[in-house]
Amino acid sequence: MAELIGSILILLGAIFLFSAGLGLLRMPDVFTRLQAGTKASTLGNMLVLSGVAFYHPGWSLKLLIVIYFVLLTNPISSHALARAAHAIGVPMTRATVTDALRDARETDRSAR
Amino acid sequence: MRRPFIILAVMLFAALFAGIAIDYTERQSLRPLAANYVKRVPQELGAPNIITGILLTYRGFDTLGEVAVLFMVAAGVGLVLGERSLPRRDDVPAEPEEIIPSTELVQNGAAVLFPLISIFAAYIIMNGHLSAGGGFQGGAIIASGVMLLLLARPEYRIDHGFLGTTESLAGVLFVLAGIAGLIFAGGFLDSRMLPLGQFGAFFSAGAIPIISVLLGVKVGCELSVIIDRFRG
Amino acid sequence: MSHLPISNIVLATGFILVLIGLWGMLTHRNILRIIIGFSLIDTGIHIVIVSIGYVTNGTAPIIDSALRPSEAASRVVDPIPSALVVTAIVIGLSVTAVMLAYAIRLYESKKTLSIDAFMESKW
Repeated sequence: MAELIGSILILLGAIFLFSAGLGLLRMPDVFTRLQAGTKASTLGNMLVLSGVAFYHPGWSLKLLIVIYFVLLTNPISSHALARAAHAIGVPMTRATVTDALRDARETDRSAR
Repeated sequence: MRRPFIILAVMLFAALFAGIAIDYTERQSLRPLAANYVKRVPQELGAPNIITGILLTYRGFDTLGEVAVLFMVAAGVGLVLGERSLPRRDDVPAEPEEIIPSTELVQNGAAVLFPLISIFAAYIIMNGHLSAGGGFQGGAIIASGVMLLLLARPEYRIDHGFLGTTESLAGVLFVLAGIAGLIFAGGFLDSRMLPLGQFGAFFSAGAIPIISVLLGVKVGCELSVIIDRFRG
Repeated sequence: MSHLPISNIVLATGFILVLIGLWGMLTHRNILRIIIGFSLIDTGIHIVIVSIGYVTNGTAPIIDSALRPSEAASRVVDPIPSALVVTAIVIGLSVTAVMLAYAIRLYESKKTLSIDAFMESKW
């Protein structure tokens, strides 16, 4: 019974990881690609690890620490990448209508 | 016009690889040399991790060559990326570089993660002879921690002099450990010059922990210097 | 679980990675994509070397509570290819670092990343 739940969780995680790869290929520009890649792959990672925890209940604490570590590092790295891409001026796709970071930087610079 | 030749080249390589892959059958037992190593490492060296025992004692010259290659690459990257800009004309004033400060998210994340990464790297280096790990792996983890620090504080300038001196000192001590193995024990980089100790304990397997620490320090310093050179 | 030919699958995966990297290196004109192709070839060769050392139903060559030294010789995979690959990974990283340094300098000299702009050495 526990193995069935574990297998379903691992399958769900694999589906999310596959959709992360698909999003990386199909999205138009850097920022949408970062969003698709990070969110889907972090969730897929966490689901696969919790599925393994159902297979080996003795490893639950170690897997919990690994899940915490992944949840901590993935969003930070994608955040730093996105800000760096915005800072060097990577062009956005034409469907984007607002750019909150650029407006915030301009009000900052004019206020200084 | 170039396309057909590219396709031909890839097809030829594919035929070569297919020839190798089809003739390959899985082995059922170890080859004689591997069986010899697997039998000798726990007995003579007292190290539970067979791969570290092979890398640091029986194939010590390969490790020395790798250390030399890493040193040359650090020097080479320093040469190519040394002075970053082309010579500037004197009448055009240089504009001050605007360093974009990092955000609170990255700073807090780095403050939480950097101690964890350092402890993990120290654990992997020191456990090289007991479980999976070793000097090179731990050094790479330290370098990734340093990169996280550089992301969190863009105005932080790494002291290249200190890192260069530490790395050279670790390299010299590594070669001296090898020569001491030549004098006191069987051959170059033989780790039996220190007592073997109890099998599986922390301080055991001769000089392998000391050599792992030296390798970890050297690789960590080198990779940090290489990463810092790319920052410009 | 039936007997899957694990090492054959891994060997084929490694060779396919090498072919993809070779194709990418020959086709693209952007310097960074050529470097990525080089790195793919590197990773593929490492996977091939590790897969050659597999012994059927073998386990990792680390002696701990689950593996006695006396029965180690009969149940362990080949440690020598793994030791060679540890060295090879570090050297692959170093070569990639040097290539990227050259890419940065080439971009600074001509402001373009296409390799068609650097034809001076071609005969």
